[in-house]
This record gives sequence, C-alpha cells and structure tokens, in this order.
Amino acid sequence: MKRRAVIAGVGHTSFGKHPGRSAFELEAEAAALAARDAGLDPLEIDGLLTDPGFARGPMEGITPHFLRLGGLLGIDPLYTGTEILGGAGSAAIVGRAALAVEAGLCSTCLCVYGDSALSTPGAYAYGRGDDAAYGLFGAVGLHAMAAQRHMHLYGTRPEHLGEVAVAARACGARTPHAQKRRPISLQEYLESDPVVDPLRKLDCCLVSDGAAAVLVTTEERAAALRRPFARILSQAQAHRLRTFTSPEHFETLPAARCGPEALARAGVTADDVDVALLYDCFTIVVLLQLEDYGFCKKGEAGPFVEGGRIAPGGKLAVNPSGGLLAEGYGGGMLHVIEAVRQLRGEAGERQVPGAEIALVSGHGLGMNTHATLVLGR
Amino acid sequence: MDPDATTPPLPEPDALTRRFWEACRQGRLDLCACESCGHLFLPPGPCCPRCWAMRITTRTASGEGAVRTFAVYRRTYHPGLPQPYVVAVIELREGPRLVSNVVGCAPERVRIDMPVRARFENVGEFTLPRFEPAGPEKEPS
Repeated sequence: MKRRAVIAGVGHTSFGKHPGRSAFELEAEAAALAARDAGLDPLEIDGLLTDPGFARGPMEGITPHFLRLGGLLGIDPLYTGTEILGGAGSAAIVGRAALAVEAGLCSTCLCVYGDSALSTPGAYAYGRGDDAAYGLFGAVGLHAMAAQRHMHLYGTRPEHLGEVAVAARACGARTPHAQKRRPISLQEYLESDPVVDPLRKLDCCLVSDGAAAVLVTTEERAAALRRPFARILSQAQAHRLRTFTSPEHFETLPAARCGPEALARAGVTADDVDVALLYDCFTIVVLLQLEDYGFCKKGEAGPFVEGGRIAPGGKLAVNPSGGLLAEGYGGGMLHVIEAVRQLRGEAGERQVPGAEIALVSGHGLGMNTHATLVLGR
Repeated sequence: MDPDATTPPLPEPDALTRRFWEACRQGRLDLCACESCGHLFLPPGPCCPRCWAMRITTRTASGEGAVRTFAVYRRTYHPGLPQPYVVAVIELREGPRLVSNVVGCAPERVRIDMPVRARFENVGEFTLPRFEPAGPEKEPS
C-alpha cells in the first residue's frame, strides 16, 4: 500500500521578543510541543528538516543548521537537511518531508523554523549585494516596486493594500497567541509612517523571535495516535532566479506557475479552498497571490479585497490567525500550523466552519522563490 | 563621526563584474553581448543566459532607457544615503534592466515609463551609472 504523508503534530513558542533566548532554545521548545501535540515519543523521529530563518544564517562556520539542531535534540536521522529558500522554506521543508516519508526514506520527520530576528538589531536591513550602492536595502524596496507597478498597471490604491492590513489585524485580535492583538482602522493604516513608498509601516510584517514545528508522518502511524491529522494532498514549487531580468518580475510571483499546478494536483480549484494561508511579508504579496492562485483575475485583487472580503466573516478566509502581519513572523511555518488547526476544527473563535481544504503558500528572497501546499482532512 | 560611516556602501567587484565597473569609471555603460546569439544582458555573467555560449563580448549601451518601476525610500538605512531617494529598475533601450537611482528630479515626479538617460556619478573610488529624466521632468541644475 502506498504510504501517504500527513501532519500529525504542531507546536510553536510565543512570538515576540525573547531576550536572552537563543533561536536553538526556541526551536527545541517548538519541537517538544509538536511531539507532545502528536503524542509521539521523540525517539521515534527519524527525519529532520530545518529552515534557520535569517538572523543566524544557515551555517555557523562549517556547521550547517540541521547538524547543530539535530545534535542538540539528540537525533540521528535517516534523512535531514536545511533549506535556504527565504520565506518559502517552511512550506518547502514540509513538502520535502512528505516526499521523504512517502518514498520510505524516513517515517516521522520533524520540520522546524526558528529565528531570533527581533533580538538581532538590523537583521532585515541588509543591503542587496552591489545594488546596496543605490540604497536597495531589505526586502521592502523590491516589494514597494511591485506595489508601484500594480498601481500603475491596474489602478490599485493604497486603500486596497490597507484592506489587507486591516483584515490581518482583525484576525490577530481573534488569535490569543498573536503578537499584535489590537485591531486597526483603514484611517490608521493610511496615517501610518511611510517606509518605502508606496509601502507604509502597516504594510510590513512583524519582526519576531520565535520557533514553530510540525511533524510529518505516515497516515498509518498518525491514525494510531488518536489525534486528528491533516493530509498533505499536493505540493508544487516555482522559482524565478532571473529576478527582474524576467519580464514578469514585479507583475506576477512564481506562484502564477506553481499555484494553479498545486491545486490541480490536489484535484481542486481555488473555489474549493476553504481557508487560504497566504504568505504575507507585505500586503502587496497577498494581492498578487489572490491573482496568481486564481481567486480573482489578474489586476483585480484590489477591488476583490474591498469591503472586508478577506477580513473575518468575509467571503474568503485568508490567514485567520493574522499571518506575518499580526500573528508573528513565523517564516511561513505558522501558516502551515494554522492550516492544520483549521482542518482539525480547533481554531476557536477564528474557526472557519467546516474547513476541509487549506491552501498554504511560502514566498521568499527577492520575490524569487515560491512553494505551495494543499492540505485536507 | 567615523568617516567610513558616511561613505555609502560600495560595489564589491569580482571576476565577473570588474569590467563593468571599470567601464563605468570611464563613463561607459557596457552590456554583455553573446558572440553566438547576439543576446545583450546584465548583470555580467560567465555565459550567455539564453544559449549558454561562453564567448561574451561587450557592447556600450546608449544610456537611454525608461523607468520600469521604482520605490521612494523614506527611511535612512545607511548614513551615507539619507532619505528620500529613488531606487528604480531601469529598462535600457537595448533591453537589459538594472537597478539604479533616478536623480535630478523630485521623487514625487518620478513615473513608470518615464524616459531617462544615464548620468555617471563618482562615489568613493567608484563611478555609478545613475539616471536622470530625459524629458520635461528634469529640473534645471
């Protein structure tokens, strides 16, 4: 019988400031919570895949992140590695764990993201290679250029970006563990400080210390654990390494290639998605994904989000836990975890009734990488 | 203040980009040109990114282009680069695109598709190709 991969356990630290705690300590806490949630003995874990976040980098001298973390956790796995795909890393390692489990390379794979970016001043204020000579710093500049082009081509307005920010914070208000629980108004969004025009402070995701982990195992093993699990129905990735050499850059994300593909592989369409966990490092990325995944036509994401359509109680449930804009910067792993909680029906006040199909995306680097998972009950 | 702190970040030429920066110092914006298929490209690379031919020569660009998209930095990330400033992706008339600055006009006047032309500016030991409006947006200097 073909082995099918499922997510059997999830866990995360609180997100916010953890002064004096190393990211490894946070990762260990998240791993232990995921094992406890699944009801799995850590000794059973025979796979380890990691996304090391940004502040540390993937290597400490000659020691890659998986080696240090695996040693600290006491794991001698059959399968391991560290992915460096920026914000697509978490979705990608969960997808890779599913492939490894289904191929029989390992049986139970721990997937961990962790970072201490908030306690590392300037972690995201890096210069982008030689382009730093022109003042291209951080991820915000490139995303501002994408927003500028969307506004130019389609008449998208600041209020449309604001709808995304307001919806995220309304979701955060319904999420007990969210880093930002105070809702904001559209007016507050419009008055928020400019960072890189046309993006304001409230267009930008939070910076957090924290870690999040999931356990991927076989359906057979998960069924014996008497805990609801989430199926990994399909996955796809697409990457645009040419950056702005590609004529599509700043207009679509690589999601335009892998998003529809992932949905088709799961045998569903955008209309079947009950809850969309869209990577939201900046508000514009949510608008671009609504188009690229086929929730609306190209260029129409601005009007699509008007009137609270992606806010709590709206027509499309997007990031009910608040995402990177309100829940905390979880590298994309919190998106995976929220999808599992929604499919298990354990999301409390923010539960999407009867959620059966969840879409999870990850997006990273200079809008170069993208990974998609489709999860089901 | 430490004088280094006010020097903006500078390019770090390597074996692939050294010739590009040397040409800039001489007031030229040199593109890579594939001897096999004629493709013109930036950034400089070891092979033609279209046909993978290894024989690459250079061709000097006109310096004319248009703003493909841009962003206005309203925060100072480096003391040597005080805000506001415009970072843009410029599409050259010959096709290749590059990141640069739009200078010589107020940030509020920069528009997508605005015609621009290269203007070489010295920063430290380097000469950076920046771009100024080629049309009516240019402010008298």
